[in-house]
Amino acid sequence: MKGIAGKGVFLPEKEGINKSILGFLKTLLEKYVFDGIMVPMRVPAKNSYAWVLVREPSLIMKASPLAPVMPVQGAKALKSLTRKGKGTLNFAVLMRPCEIRASIELTKLNQIHPEKITLMSIDCPGALPLSDYIQNPEEGEKRFEALFTGESWSDETSKPVCQICDQFSWQPASDLHFGLMRGQKKGIFLISNSEKGQRVLNEMKLQASESVSEWKKSIEDLTKKRQKKREKRFEEVQTMAKGFEPLLETFAACIGCHNCQSACPICYCRQCYFNSTISRPDSDFIFQKAEVRGGISFPMDRIFFHVGRMTHMSLSCVSCGLCSDACPVSIPVAEVFSYVADQTQRTFEYRAGESGEDAIPITRYRMEEIQGVQNIVHQAEGAMSKDG
Amino acid sequence: MANQLTIKKSSEQGLIDFLTFLLETRKISAVFTLRETGKEGVFDYGLITDVQMLKQAIPLHPFMPVNAGQELSRFKAMKKQVAAVIRPCELRGFIELIKRVQGTPDHFLLISYTCGGALRFASSLHGKGDTNLPGYWKAVEKGENYKEIRPTCKACEYFVPMNADATVSLVGKNHEDECVLELHTEKAKEMAAGFKGEYSEEGTKSQIVDTLLEKRKAEKTRLFQEIGSVMKDLGGVVEVFSRCVGCHGCSRVCPMCHCILCDFESHLFDHEASVIEKEFSRKEGMRLPTDTILFQLGRMNHMSFSCVGCGMCTEVCPADIPVASIFMKTGSETAQLFDYIPGRDIDEPVPVTVYKEEELSKLG
Repeated sequence: MKGIAGKGVFLPEKEGINKSILGFLKTLLEKYVFDGIMVPMRVPAKNSYAWVLVREPSLIMKASPLAPVMPVQGAKALKSLTRKGKGTLNFAVLMRPCEIRASIELTKLNQIHPEKITLMSIDCPGALPLSDYIQNPEEGEKRFEALFTGESWSDETSKPVCQICDQFSWQPASDLHFGLMRGQKKGIFLISNSEKGQRVLNEMKLQASESVSEWKKSIEDLTKKRQKKREKRFEEVQTMAKGFEPLLETFAACIGCHNCQSACPICYCRQCYFNSTISRPDSDFIFQKAEVRGGISFPMDRIFFHVGRMTHMSLSCVSCGLCSDACPVSIPVAEVFSYVADQTQRTFEYRAGESGEDAIPITRYRMEEIQGVQNIVHQAEGAMSKDG
Repeated sequence: MANQLTIKKSSEQGLIDFLTFLLETRKISAVFTLRETGKEGVFDYGLITDVQMLKQAIPLHPFMPVNAGQELSRFKAMKKQVAAVIRPCELRGFIELIKRVQGTPDHFLLISYTCGGALRFASSLHGKGDTNLPGYWKAVEKGENYKEIRPTCKACEYFVPMNADATVSLVGKNHEDECVLELHTEKAKEMAAGFKGEYSEEGTKSQIVDTLLEKRKAEKTRLFQEIGSVMKDLGGVVEVFSRCVGCHGCSRVCPMCHCILCDFESHLFDHEASVIEKEFSRKEGMRLPTDTILFQLGRMNHMSFSCVGCGMCTEVCPADIPVASIFMKTGSETAQLFDYIPGRDIDEPVPVTVYKEEELSKLG
C-alpha cells in the first residue's frame, strides 16, 4: 500500500456498517458537499441492483454502499455521465476497487472526464455470481451479508475472480477510501488520498487523527493469502488458455453473442471491430475457408474475436469478472482474461488502474525497446545471409 | 412427381444419407446444419463441404445455439447451392430478413421439420443435451411439450414449417423408425431425382400434429395472460425490466435486429453531461446508464411484429428476464392488428412498410 496516509478518520459503527456509511453520505448531500452521489440501489423487483445518481438526501438511505452483485460495472455507469466532458455539478461515486481501477483506465482512454467527480472506494469482500443471486435473491442477500460482516473474507461463494483478487482494498488512484475495520474495534476508516478527498474531510469538519496501522496490517495479511491463491489458480488456468487447442476447448460452447464485450468496462468502442462488416463476409470467402478444412463453424471467427478482444484490452483489464457473469454458456472468460492480463501487464511492469500518471504501455515506447527491436533485426539479417 | 420420400433408416440417418447424396452428386456445394464438434456435449452450426464431415452432423437435434436464419442472411448472393437444415422459426426468421433485403433464398435448398421445440441452454450444454434427448423424443412422438424446451417453444403454434423446400416429419412419429421427407417445391423434387428411396404421394397428416397444436395454443393463451398480468401498467414494465443491464445481447442474437449499428448504440444515446444534469435536477435520483427501458421499448417498436418466438433473447439474457415471452406476446398482438404472421409469405410486406387506403379513414 505504497503512498497511503498513516492516519485516517475513524467512524465507529452504529447500527451496522451499511447504515453508518449511508448516514455519512446523507450528510454529504445535506451539506451540499456534493450535488449528487452515485451508489448502488436495489431495483423495484428486489432481485438485482442498479446504479443511481442520488440527489435527495432521504433517498440515499435506501441505497447499498456495497451491493451483493455487480450487474453493471461502475466505470461504465460513470462513463455514461462524463464521456463527453465534465459537467457543472459536483458528483461523488462510491465504487468497488476494481471499478475505480477501470475508471482510471477509461480516463486514460478519454472515455471519462473526472474533473468534477470525486472517486470514493470501499473495501470489497467480493461479489456473488449474478445468475446465482437472481435465481434466489433472498439466499444471495444472506450470503453476502455473512461475507460482508464476517470476520474473514476467504469465502468460496463469491465469483471465481473475486476469490483470487489481491486489489480489494485501498486504491492509490481513488480520492477517498472507506476502510472497514473488523474484530473488536468495529468501524470505518476514512482515508484521504488527494485534494478532492481532503476537501470532503474539511467540509465535514473531520480530522484524520487515528492511526490506520492495525487495519492496514489486516489488509496486507489477507492480500498475501490472496496472492498465493491467485498464483495457484493461474497455474490451473494456464492449461485452459495456453495454446490454440486449449483455447478452442475452453471456448467451444461460445455462441458469439459478445455479451462479454458489452459487459466489459474497457471495451468502449461504439462499434467494435468484431461487430462491423467483418461479421458479414463475402460468400466466396466463406467457401474458401470451409473448403480448406471440409467445414467451418457458425458464427465464424469466435476464437479470433476472443483473442482480438484480449489484444485490444488486456493491458487495461482489471479482473472485475463481469464478462463471466454475462456469458450465457458459462465459459470462465474472466479467469482466462485475468490470467492473460496478468502476464501482459507484468511484461510492461504495469498494473491497470493503479495510477492516473502511468500511460497505457502500447501508447508509448521507451528508448531501450528500440534497442531490443534492432537486436531482433540484426539476428534476422544474420540468419538470412547464412541461407544465402 | 412424387411428393413424399421415405428412407428406411432413422430420421436423422436418412436425412444425412440424403444430404450425402446431394453433396456427392455435386447438386449442392455444401450443407449448413447442426453438428457435434468432437468435444463433449458441444455442438454448433457448420457449413460442411466435405462428405466425410457429414458424419458429425446432428441435423434434427433440439439445439439452437444461434438463430440459423440470422446466419443464412449473412450469405451474400452466390452461384453455389447450399442445403440448409433449420427449425421452422429460424426459417420464418430468414423469410422476414429477406423481406428487409438481408439475404436471398435462391441459393439455398431449405429443409425444415415439424418441430417439438428447442431445449434451453441450461438443458443442452455441458453434456445435459444427451441426458434430455430420450425424454424429448418421447414427447415429440406423443405430441407433448417436453419440460425442458424454451417457454416460447411451448407456446409456438407454427411448428409445421412454412416456405420450406422439404420437410422432415418428426411430430407424432418415432424418429428411429424411418425418415419421411416431404418434397414441396420443384427444386426439392429435382434435387431428390436419382436418390434411392420409396416415393409416394403425400401421406395423411398425423392427428398428433393437431393434438400438439391444441396444446400449444392453450399454452400460448396462458403464457400471454401471465405476461399481461405482470406488465399491465408502466409500473409492471419497469419492474420486469428493472434488472436489465443494458448489454444488448438480446438484440445481438435476434435475427430481426440486423442493423450493424443499432440506434441505441449510436451517438443518439451518448449524452452530454448537461443533458444528464438537466434531467437529474428534476428528480430525487437518476439511474445510470440512462435509457435502459427505452432500449427495450424501442427495440419492441422496431421489430416485435416480426418476432418469431425463437427464444434466443431469453437464453442470452444475463439477468434472466423473460424477453422472448414478452416480445412474442406484444409482437403477436400487434401483428394481429395487421392480419400479419411473420414468415408466412415471402411476398407479404412488413406492416409498417406499407399502408392501405382504408387505414387513412380510420385516422380521420
